[in-house]
Amino acid sequence: MLRFVVSRALKAVLTVWIAITSTFFLLRLLPGDPTTLMVEGDMTPEMQAALLKTYGLDRPLWEQYVSYLRELVQGNLGISFRQIQPVTEIILDRLPWTLLLAGAAFVLTVAVGIPIGVTAAVNRGKWPDRALQGFGISANALFVPSVAILLLVFFGAQLGWFPIGGAIDPDSRGVAAYLSLAHHLVLPVLSLVLVQLGPYALTLRTNMIEVLGEDYIRAAQARGLSARRRVWKHGLRNAILPALTLMGLQLGTLVGGAVLTETVFAYPGVGRLIYEAVGQQDYPVIQGAFIMLAVTVVIANAMTDMLYAVLNPRIRL
Amino acid sequence: MKDTFKGRLRLAVALGVTAVLGLSGCGLNEENGSSSSSSSDTVLRIGTTTDVSNFNPLQSLSKTDSWILNAMYPHLLRIDENAEKAPELAKEYRYEDDGKTAVFVLRDDFKWTDGKPVVAEDVKFSAETIMKYKLGNVAAKLTWVESVEAPDATTVKFALSQPYAPFAEGVGFWMPIVPKHVFEQAGDLSKFANDSNWVGAGPFVLESVTKGQRYVMKRNEHYPLAPEGKAAVSQIEYRVYPDVNTMMLALRNGDIDLMGTPVPVSAAKTFANDDKIELKKVGALGFAHLTYNMKNEYLADQEVRQALSMAVDTKSIIAAVLQGEGQQMAGPISPIFAEYDNTELQPYAFDPAGAKAKLTAAGYKDANNDGFFDELNFGVACDQSNANITRVVQLFRESAAEAGIKLENECVERNTFLTRVKNGEYDIDATQWGVFDNPMDQLRSTYLSSNPGGINYNLLESDEMDALINDAAATTDPEAFKTKIKNLDKVVHEQAYLTPLYVENFQFAYNADKFTGFVPSPSDLLGMVTAYSLAQVTPVK
Repeated sequence: MLRFVVSRALKAVLTVWIAITSTFFLLRLLPGDPTTLMVEGDMTPEMQAALLKTYGLDRPLWEQYVSYLRELVQGNLGISFRQIQPVTEIILDRLPWTLLLAGAAFVLTVAVGIPIGVTAAVNRGKWPDRALQGFGISANALFVPSVAILLLVFFGAQLGWFPIGGAIDPDSRGVAAYLSLAHHLVLPVLSLVLVQLGPYALTLRTNMIEVLGEDYIRAAQARGLSARRRVWKHGLRNAILPALTLMGLQLGTLVGGAVLTETVFAYPGVGRLIYEAVGQQDYPVIQGAFIMLAVTVVIANAMTDMLYAVLNPRIRL
Repeated sequence: MKDTFKGRLRLAVALGVTAVLGLSGCGLNEENGSSSSSSSDTVLRIGTTTDVSNFNPLQSLSKTDSWILNAMYPHLLRIDENAEKAPELAKEYRYEDDGKTAVFVLRDDFKWTDGKPVVAEDVKFSAETIMKYKLGNVAAKLTWVESVEAPDATTVKFALSQPYAPFAEGVGFWMPIVPKHVFEQAGDLSKFANDSNWVGAGPFVLESVTKGQRYVMKRNEHYPLAPEGKAAVSQIEYRVYPDVNTMMLALRNGDIDLMGTPVPVSAAKTFANDDKIELKKVGALGFAHLTYNMKNEYLADQEVRQALSMAVDTKSIIAAVLQGEGQQMAGPISPIFAEYDNTELQPYAFDPAGAKAKLTAAGYKDANNDGFFDELNFGVACDQSNANITRVVQLFRESAAEAGIKLENECVERNTFLTRVKNGEYDIDATQWGVFDNPMDQLRSTYLSSNPGGINYNLLESDEMDALINDAAATTDPEAFKTKIKNLDKVVHEQAYLTPLYVENFQFAYNADKFTGFVPSPSDLLGMVTAYSLAQVTPVK
């Protein structure tokens, strides 16, 4: 088990380093620089040069990269060009909201996806199965912002059931604050779940159909096990493993989707921070946010691997 | 074998949920300071599109930052509904010493929220700090300043290296005044975040910030430009909606009372059936235009530029793209500057056949009979995130083809576009100027060969234009100054250095059932949320 954990940890570090390096260089390959967007008014070339020097962007690229890595190892993500604040502080302010949003969407997708996928598999060819296939294929074509706007217009503006944007009523306190938090979370989570649920449930359905045809399931039937035990105990345990891997991979998509969801729902997470920082070419914030997200996804994937190992003892060999 | 699967699964789910909620640690309303308001308070809630990126008004370059900072830090002058400068902290200004000294006389009744009076030393400190650290775009407005003096508490004198006619207007409008006694304790002001314990002298001052969500401003109990000596609204709350569609829904839903950002033309009609929402219309301080790269050998030909101007159907563009919410322009001076606009000029009439005849007469040929003049093939660069301009380029391309001029659509992502423009890598630039608060700054920035603002997109190097601009800039007699600006308007129009497309009308939406009295200023720079406007707002009884 230790070897397994160490191997996963090393892979995780390598992945994060690749994410850091590619983000650093890709950003600098973009046309222009942070002063390009400041052309309005009277930004003289001298002032632009002075700003670039302040930002440290007048130094050779490799020097910037080495310096960035050195600072990063010490836990310093740099100072935002625009906000003149440590990037770590800015991101830690926002990260909890994204974790809450993506985490809630993840949990809900799994919680709803499992029974739907299993029910469709057990009723193969019948209406629950056909309904899931129809929904799954449609969901693949859904675009997060479009779903988000539709949900906002219908459930927020028309029916008035949910608030228009925001994460919490700023004046609520105590229990009311938690209720407000949940109330604001419903539509953003729903927009992410609607897009994620179809592919997840379909994958589970396919795995489940395969597993239910295995010899050991028939053997279980021959031993007189009830259909419920065969499906939910023996079948699901084996069918869920590939679906779990898929969810780990989809976490990245979930976090990416949060950029759009957070923008439409005015949700104060890292996704929206990235959206704003890209518009301002605030390199340190973009780099920091991507690193944080990369680390989050890597950790989540590592946790998925661990969970996989817990569920499937053969992995620990 | 003991069955532990179900137990493990439950444990895993429970751990996951706990991890998410635990890790999240979302700050449940732990903002600093008390922002709750009693039932008798009147709170005006305004939608903004993004967080404040920099609370230091001397550094900030963001439009949305200025919505909040303008209400906190006074300026010497403000811009009124007619785009003219009006007194704010300064009650008057004048030039002495043949225009080489600009003198501002301040009001004596402005106070910082910590009780100290706003004095000339604060103005001197603000200007000297900006010059020392070359902060923001105000530093360029202070280019001519050799020294700043504050001989008494209400007089500030700027000694200039040479007369510059709109100096006082530019500095008065753009330069925020900060409290010297607070800011001088911060050390290096180029690194001062000013993100807490705010002291202001505008009608409102920041009280608490919940990043990503809201900015609460409380009333300054002593603001002399408000009718009752303080604003009628006791608190302002900015709420952040990055998506304008969401902000519009929030206004309709009653979550906010005013949109800080203009309503897109295409969406304005959605408020038509909502009785409580009113739209206030203002002009723009910028305008959309086509600018021709003079380094292109064919665009350097006045006949070609004039023909291109005749091949743009600006009336149809205003009708189709802006749904009628815009004005035509003839020369480079916007009609909003009524004193300076040369009304004798007429826009080039849309006449593709005439343009074709003009080019034929100038010697251009269509040797292969493909309907296009052989040499007249240009790219039109634009920022594709600007939907209006992108549509304009499409329409221009079609109408120019009728005149025998082949255009390629080169609209690209914003940074790429700006970089190409900065490097002169374009033939025709289709874009929209944001804000010019006075015509002289505009002409100087866009046509001087020394390119002081980096936005001489014509890449024009004309001794004649340099001489005319420098002569006007040094003219301190107001009437002579106006005449010279009008002449420059005429020269640019005749030379067709640019083809003005339109001045857009901006529309700001607010809940008229709840609030009234907004005094909007032109453009979307501040629109309805200037300090002066917010100080005049009253709740509807």
